[in-house]
Amino acid sequence: MLEIVIFILFAAVAVIAGLAILVSTNIVRMAYWLIAMLISVAGLYFLMGAYFLGVIQILVYVGGVAVLLVFGVMLTSRQMAPKLRPGRVEALWLTVVAAVLLSGLILSVVRVRWEPGAVVAGNSVAEIGRSLLGEFLGPFELVSVLLLVAMLGAAYLARPKTPVQGAQQRKGTTAL
Amino acid sequence: MMGLTPYLILSAILLVLGIAIIISKRNAIAMLIGVEFILNAAALNMVAFSRHGIGALSGQTAALFVIVLAAAEAVVALAIFLNFYHTISTVDIDRGDQLKG
Repeated sequence: MLEIVIFILFAAVAVIAGLAILVSTNIVRMAYWLIAMLISVAGLYFLMGAYFLGVIQILVYVGGVAVLLVFGVMLTSRQMAPKLRPGRVEALWLTVVAAVLLSGLILSVVRVRWEPGAVVAGNSVAEIGRSLLGEFLGPFELVSVLLLVAMLGAAYLARPKTPVQGAQQRKGTTAL
Repeated sequence: MMGLTPYLILSAILLVLGIAIIISKRNAIAMLIGVEFILNAAALNMVAFSRHGIGALSGQTAALFVIVLAAAEAVVALAIFLNFYHTISTVDIDRGDQLKG
């Protein structure tokens, strides 16, 4: 009973956050609603007994990705923020597409009779670590290479375009 | 004890919300938020399956990989958006209609 109440609480927060992002026109508020959604999904992970995953979700997503998004907002949108609300026809199409997709997904989920398998009590960090270095060793190494490539690529892409010129200018102004 | 279905339905709702956000927004960062919704829906799905004995702990490990990939994707996408902003001084996706920087 308590589990159902907690599930409804977190699920409601996540869905309300999504709807708020959908109708909001303020990009900073969207970022904060995203944080609300991420925390509620982390709560669902805790509810399902995936404690390690919940902690990682809060650490990496809320602590990293969401803050990165807020930084992106601050670095980009000054006064040229684009119009965020779609037009009437676009909104209609959007509603139709979303309704069809959602009803199809929910129908297919509900119609399948899921066999109630044994609930896995695998919440131990040790088990996940063992599977990372055993069964999932290949993907684990690939992901580490991917992280390195993403870091270098982001640093290369976001570098200032004319660093030497800027440095010289600054030197010139200080000499003057 | 709750079954699998509520989690799957929630995951479907989050997926559709993410797609709707990506379709409706013109701001590049808002579209990135939609992508995060979709990735979270997928990870939630996998953890729910793993919880109910399908594939043992592989679901949790896969969700871990999803989180890592989402972080990498957000970093690279934001770097691209910063470049975009420096080039045409807006993050409006509709203005990015030329390949030449």
